[in-house]
Amino acid sequence: MVSITVNGNQRQVQSAPDTPLLYVLRNELDVTSPQFGCGLAQCGACSVLLDGKEVRSCVTPVSMAAGKEITTVEGLGARWGKQKKEKTLHPVQTAWIEEQAPLCGFCQNGMMIKAVELLEKTAKPSDAEIKAAFTTSGPSAHLCRCGSYVAILEAVRHASALMVKGSTT
Amino acid sequence: MNTVIETIDIHGAQLSRRGFLASGGALVVGLGLLPQAAQAATSKTTLNPAALSSWIEIKADNTVLIRTGKSDFGQGSIYTTYRQIVAEELDLPFEAITTVVSADTDRTPDGGGTFGFLGDVNGNGMPNLRKVAAYTRHALLELAAQRLGVAKEGLSITDGVVSGGGKRISYGELIKDQNLKLTIPVKGEISGFMGLAVDGNPPMKPVASYKVIGKSFRNSAIASKVTGKELWVTNVKLPGMLHARTVHPATLGSTLVSAGQLDKTKFPGAQVIVKGNLVGVVAANEWEAVQAARQVAATTKWTEWKGLPGQANLFHHLRNEADWKAVAVTKGEANKGDVASAMAAAAKKLSASYELPYMKHAPIGPTMALADVRPDGMVTVHTHTQNAQQLRGQIARMLGTGLDKVIIRTYAGAGHYGRSNGGNAGGEDEAVILSKELGRPVRVQWMRADDLQWSTQSPAAYSDIQIGLDANGKIVGYQADHYMPAMQDDRPIGAVLAGLPTARAPGDKDTPPSANTLYDDWVYDAILNSEERGHGTWQIGQRASPLAAGLRDHAMRTPGQYQQNFPRELAISEAAALAGADAIQFRIDHAKEERLKSVLARLRAESAWETRAAPHPGAASTGEAKVHGQGVSVMLRSGTYWACACQITLTPATGAIAVEKVTVVVEPGIVVNPLQLKRQVEGGTLMGVSEALYEEVAFDETGVTVRDWQSYPILKMADMPEVKVVLMHRPEVGSYGGGSEAANALASPAIAAAVHDATGKPVRRLPLRPAYLKELFSV
Repeated sequence: MVSITVNGNQRQVQSAPDTPLLYVLRNELDVTSPQFGCGLAQCGACSVLLDGKEVRSCVTPVSMAAGKEITTVEGLGARWGKQKKEKTLHPVQTAWIEEQAPLCGFCQNGMMIKAVELLEKTAKPSDAEIKAAFTTSGPSAHLCRCGSYVAILEAVRHASALMVKGSTT
Repeated sequence: MNTVIETIDIHGAQLSRRGFLASGGALVVGLGLLPQAAQAATSKTTLNPAALSSWIEIKADNTVLIRTGKSDFGQGSIYTTYRQIVAEELDLPFEAITTVVSADTDRTPDGGGTFGFLGDVNGNGMPNLRKVAAYTRHALLELAAQRLGVAKEGLSITDGVVSGGGKRISYGELIKDQNLKLTIPVKGEISGFMGLAVDGNPPMKPVASYKVIGKSFRNSAIASKVTGKELWVTNVKLPGMLHARTVHPATLGSTLVSAGQLDKTKFPGAQVIVKGNLVGVVAANEWEAVQAARQVAATTKWTEWKGLPGQANLFHHLRNEADWKAVAVTKGEANKGDVASAMAAAAKKLSASYELPYMKHAPIGPTMALADVRPDGMVTVHTHTQNAQQLRGQIARMLGTGLDKVIIRTYAGAGHYGRSNGGNAGGEDEAVILSKELGRPVRVQWMRADDLQWSTQSPAAYSDIQIGLDANGKIVGYQADHYMPAMQDDRPIGAVLAGLPTARAPGDKDTPPSANTLYDDWVYDAILNSEERGHGTWQIGQRASPLAAGLRDHAMRTPGQYQQNFPRELAISEAAALAGADAIQFRIDHAKEERLKSVLARLRAESAWETRAAPHPGAASTGEAKVHGQGVSVMLRSGTYWACACQITLTPATGAIAVEKVTVVVEPGIVVNPLQLKRQVEGGTLMGVSEALYEEVAFDETGVTVRDWQSYPILKMADMPEVKVVLMHRPEVGSYGGGSEAANALASPAIAAAVHDATGKPVRRLPLRPAYLKELFSV
């Protein structure tokens, strides 16, 4: 039995160790923000943070997550709250709402995960750094079929400002 | 309690008072079929119109619930513009509309596809709910007049409070302890493409008095989507549910020889279900179902079939082999003059052909549906559809059961841009077939390759255009022949494979193909002689396929109009170049409509447009040095005027192209929600850039060969241009134009014109992949 930590909670997994983390999260643990997009690590809809690094849960066997800290969109508020010691939305979520970034929204789980990974490393990314993060930094580009890239770029800038402000007050 | 004690006529609707309630109270706005519509409904279905849900409920606490048969596909309209329109007509604040119930067939009153959100193709802004709200406002005024003893004409409403003659009363107080029902006249067929439409003409509020429309309210669904709280269709679970994967045939015409043997030692919980040519693999554990389906697929045997022309021969096939005489040629409504004589007398002539490939809706999440067929014959389907009522009809037809036995529940899902506007997105029917067979709820999830290879696609098309110019460079004649296979194949593919009843294909062995309508509204009224013709034919491979499958086509964002506007706008740009005229001014000079001229003038001012003739003075189609170009396009769609300018950079030696900037000017008349419209236009524009640069469905003689995001690439963030959206709010023109479709169609002809501008070489097909451009320049 594999033991994994999801959004701060330790969970014992019944599924076979080779089961992709995506199916474990969605079907066994009821953590449903990561979505099935391609099953091929080509789109990013299933992204989660594994020890702070964005990975594709559709091709990551759950055994590879053993002993590591998994963060999903459900855990972003707590991830930010741990730094801030308060219960709140993550600034990335706040920015996504204030900028009204999602269209259909199906890809936005991965977009927000990628944004958190980026902003935890680079507090004030340039537009070129943002575009590179969403295009070339991972196993594939993060794809949005609705074309929300303009909104995502603006939301990342917005989140960056909120996080810089939030971490100094 | 249900005895009607009073009935009042409200502009053709009936307001009835059914006694008093001990507490609470509500005004419930329901629907009543007109006699002829009721007859039609009962003759075709077993539907009980009286059992349908209400449109609007006003509660004693001044809050309002609205219901609509439309769903949300990422436009957010049902959560933003619909609320605004209802709040506006009812003189309530936006926040008073607390609940929106959408697209569940047992909980919403009307049906119809989720398209043309704000009304008909002319931009009349008449969604059912707007009329319903208007009827309701008049009913409330009537109630207030009675209660206050003041004539209706002397009453006014502000924020849900009716006042006049020195007295005032809120909606909540009017309704308190009352059992009121307002019955609205409707017409149409609930499970038809358009669904039920509200009838009659209740007086509407004057546009000049709008307070809620025109403001940027947020989409309430976004907060739940970004906090992980949204109940996506993918998240719905039922007790005892099985996961299924479909093993689709080897080709678009293969029939089943034998289903593969399941290795029970490896997959003890899996099961293979065969129904005709439909092979399903189910298991309680999803990962087991995925792996078992792969194993079964590898050993399943299908007949061989080669009935498609193959991608390399597509346009040769359409031009020389397809039968364009099977259905009548359509003629443009704006056709006028004598084109033949005008062409004969023309000083200069452009004669060109334009080609568009098949394209995919390509939702970011492949189709998924969960069905629960009960022993008593009740069927519930949980899905993401643009036309829940029509899907309900499709499922009932497939099972040979009544509409009353089928419920469709609609949830948020991956947008699929028109694929399900006639009901199914794919997968719903397969889930129903498997659930019926197994007696348990079944969740069908297509894999990425299934979604690219077994869904419908946007049809390929080509056009032949001739434009004649006089000695002054003015167009004297315009002639266009548009060729496109039939488009609206609403047959659920699982039912087709299983050999179960479906609606007719758009043309088959017994019926001619559907005609190619002229979809692209004509805008160049100043041209004296113009003629447009639409030519239709069968879907490729469908009649030859033993499955009656082949390349099935379906409406995709800006359907049909995309296929006709690309050649028209590109040809107009080429004609401008031939005339030595600036492409924006050339369009203005051939238009009469002031709205179009205003949009083009605004585009010129906002886009850093260089006013000059194409090609660019530095144009070159050889060499390593980068060249630059600009292009323009316009469209009239659903009452909205659109204009777009694109600036590109290109390296002729490699064919590498970068779209630097896209400027889009949108004039729908009334802008209901500026922020939401801006986001829609940005998104549509980038989808259009993607279509222009990358998208093409590869296929061979057997079927579609694209299977993932590498073989069907779409735009990535790093390759996006700067996007500038300019909204023109012109309430005085009175139009409620559409705001989502069209945006994706504008970039393609503008980018192609920009390539011509940059290189001096006309480019007349999509997509503009580097290999194609390099080859084009080398000739």
